[in-house]
Amino acid sequence: MAEITFDGVTKIFGDDIRAVDELSLHVADGEFMVLVGPSGCGKTTALRMLAGLEDITSGSLSIGGAVVNNVLPKDRDVAMVFQNYALYPHMSVEKNIGFALKIRGDSKSEIKRKVGEAAAILHLTDYLERRPKALSGGQRQRVAMGRAIVRSPQAFLMDEPLSNLDAQLRVEMRLEIARIQRILGVATVYVTHDQVEAMTMGDRVAVLRAGKLQQVDTPQDLYDHPANEFVAGFMGSPPMNLVRCHVRPGDDRVEVDFGDQTIELPWHYTSSHELPASGLDVVVGVRPEDVIITDASSPNTIKTRVERREALGAEILVHLSHLDSSADALANEQGALRDISRRSSLVAKMGPRVQVAVGDVLSVQISPEHAHFFDATTGVTLRKRKP
Amino acid sequence: MSERSAHMSVMTSSAPRVRRMTLRRRRQVAGFLFALPAIALVVGFIGVPIGQAVYYSFTQWNGLTSTWIGPSTWAQAFHNSNLWTALENNALLLLAVPFALGLPLGIAVLLHQRVAGWRIFRSIYFLPTAISWVVLGLVAERFFAYQGTLNSIIHALGFSHVNTNMLGYESTALSALGITFVFTMIGTNTMLFLTGLATLDPSLEEAARIDGAGSWRIFRSITLPHLSRFIQLAFVMTVIALFSALFSLIFVMTGGGPGYATTTMEFLIYQTGFNQGDFGTAALYGLILFVLTGIVGVVQLRLIGSNE
Repeated sequence: MAEITFDGVTKIFGDDIRAVDELSLHVADGEFMVLVGPSGCGKTTALRMLAGLEDITSGSLSIGGAVVNNVLPKDRDVAMVFQNYALYPHMSVEKNIGFALKIRGDSKSEIKRKVGEAAAILHLTDYLERRPKALSGGQRQRVAMGRAIVRSPQAFLMDEPLSNLDAQLRVEMRLEIARIQRILGVATVYVTHDQVEAMTMGDRVAVLRAGKLQQVDTPQDLYDHPANEFVAGFMGSPPMNLVRCHVRPGDDRVEVDFGDQTIELPWHYTSSHELPASGLDVVVGVRPEDVIITDASSPNTIKTRVERREALGAEILVHLSHLDSSADALANEQGALRDISRRSSLVAKMGPRVQVAVGDVLSVQISPEHAHFFDATTGVTLRKRKP
Repeated sequence: MSERSAHMSVMTSSAPRVRRMTLRRRRQVAGFLFALPAIALVVGFIGVPIGQAVYYSFTQWNGLTSTWIGPSTWAQAFHNSNLWTALENNALLLLAVPFALGLPLGIAVLLHQRVAGWRIFRSIYFLPTAISWVVLGLVAERFFAYQGTLNSIIHALGFSHVNTNMLGYESTALSALGITFVFTMIGTNTMLFLTGLATLDPSLEEAARIDGAGSWRIFRSITLPHLSRFIQLAFVMTVIALFSALFSLIFVMTGGGPGYATTTMEFLIYQTGFNQGDFGTAALYGLILFVLTGIVGVVQLRLIGSNE
C-alpha cells in the first residue's frame, strides 16, 4: 500500500495536444480519489500515465515515494480495472483472476487459495470455471475487480468500470467497489465522467477540465464551495443555476438584479466574498434546491414563469424564466401564448406534491445563506477563503 | 342468436376455406428457393465432375473415348511407384507448412508493433501475393540455378568455392520447391495474421502488462490464443495450396524432376493425363488428391467447430 503523487505532470500528444497540463495531485495511502470531468478532460490519460501505459511528457509521478516515470507497468505493482474489463476471453474466471499470480511465480496452491478468497469476496465462487462470455455484465465487472484485488497491489486504478452496466447494477456495484476498497484500504484512483459516482464513492474528488485540475476536495465541499463556474455547473444534478447579474454591495445587504427585479442577500457576503464595485456584473450561482417557491406577498422574491416541468417521482424539476415588468403582462395572459415555452434561467427542485403547471407565474426566493458568486470574466469564485 | 354471432356464421359459411401453409413451412420453402441457385452451381460444377471422375476412374479414357474396364485401374494405380513417390513428396512438402505459418506470424507481429516504415514493409511482404506464381517460379528458378542469384550471394559473402545447384539434384530440388512455396505464402498469411492482430483488443495486452507479463508471455498467453482461429484458417489455406496450387511453380521450376523428385500428386495428374494420355488413371489420382484435401478440411472444420 502506498501514496501516489502527481507533481506537475504533463502529457502532450503529437506536437501540441495537451491532454494533461501540469497536474499536481496527492493521493494518500488508503484514500479513494475520484478523477472526474467531461470527455476529453485528461482523466483517463492521467490514469494511464499512472499505470505506465502512457509516457509522461514532463513532471514527476511517484508511487510509494519512488518516482515511477520510467518504470515499466509490470514493475509498478498497481492493478487496473478497465472500462471494458479487458478479461482474457480464452481463460476461465479462475485463470483470469490468477493470471498475475501465475506470472509472479506463486505456487499453484497459493494461487488457488488467493483466487478462492477473492472469488468469495466478490460472490464469484460458482463461476470460476466459466469463460467471460458466459457471464453477465455485472459478473464480468466483478471478475475484473477480482483480478485487481487478488494481487494485493500498492494501488488500484479504475477507468470508468461501471459505465457499461445498467443503472440499477451500477448503483449496486458502486456500493460494492466502495465496500471492497474500504476493506482492503488500498489507495485507489477512480476515473469517471459520472458526478454521482464521484460524489458517492470518493473520499476526495478531483475535477478536471481540458487537462487542468480545477479543484480537489471532499465531495461535500466540492458541492458546497465550488472553486469556479465549471465545477459549480459540473457537480450536482441538475447543475447549479448560474445567472449573470448586476450586484450592488451595500453596508447592510447585497442587492442583486435579475433583469429589472432586485433581491437582497445578507450583508455577510460582502465580507466573505470579494464582490466587485457597485453595478458591475457577477455570475450568481444558486443550487436548484435553494430556489424556494413562496407567495407573492413575501418580500425579496423574484417573479418567474414556469416554462417546463419534469416530474421525477421523488421530486419535480421546474424550469423558470424570470420575468421583467414588460413581460409580466404577457406571462399573465391566458391565451394562446401561455403554453409557448421560453428560455428558462432558473431550475428549481420541488417536492412531488407541489402543484405547478407550465405558464404559471411563481414568486421564488433564493435561500439567503446559499448563494455563490463567481467572477463574470474568469469564472473563479469570489469567496475570499479559496477552496 | 345475437346479431354478432349471426354475422360471423354468415361469414364462415360464405368464405371459402383456404388451406394456407404454416409460417414455418413457408419459411422452409422460401429458404430452399433462395438456396436453389447455389445448390445448382455446387451440383453442376463440383458434384457432377466428381461423379464423372469416379466414373472415368473405372475406364480407359484417352480424352475422347472411354472404355469401361472396372476396378483394374485402381489395382494398377496403387502398384505404380510414381504414385507413392508423389504422395511422399506431398508429405515431405508438408514440412514447409510450419515455416509458411511461422514466418508470416513473426512478420505480422513485428509489423503490428508499428515499427518505423511498417507500411512499406507491409507492401513489400504482400508483393509476392500480387504476382503470378508462374513469374515467382521463374524468379525462383533463376535464384536457385547454378549461375543464379543464390550462388552470387554465397560468393559475395566470400565462399567462392561453394556452388549450389539445388534444382539440379534429387536430394535438394524438393527443398528448393518448398522454400519457394513458403516465399509465395508469406504475403497472404502475413495479411491474414495482421488482420487477426487488428481485431485483438489492445486493452487485453495492456491488462497483461499491468498484470506483470513481459513481451514473450503476452505473445504466448494473449496474442497466440487470440490468433488461433486465424492460424487454423491459414493452416487449411496453406495445406490446400500445397496440395492443389503448386502446379505452376513445379512446371516452370523443375517440370517435376529431376526424375520424379518434385512430382506431387497434382503434377502427377497432369503428367498421367496430358503426357501419357491416360485420363482414367489421372481421374483416379484426382480422386485421391480430393480425398486427401477433404480429410484436411474436415479435420480443420472439426477443430474450429470444437473451439466455440
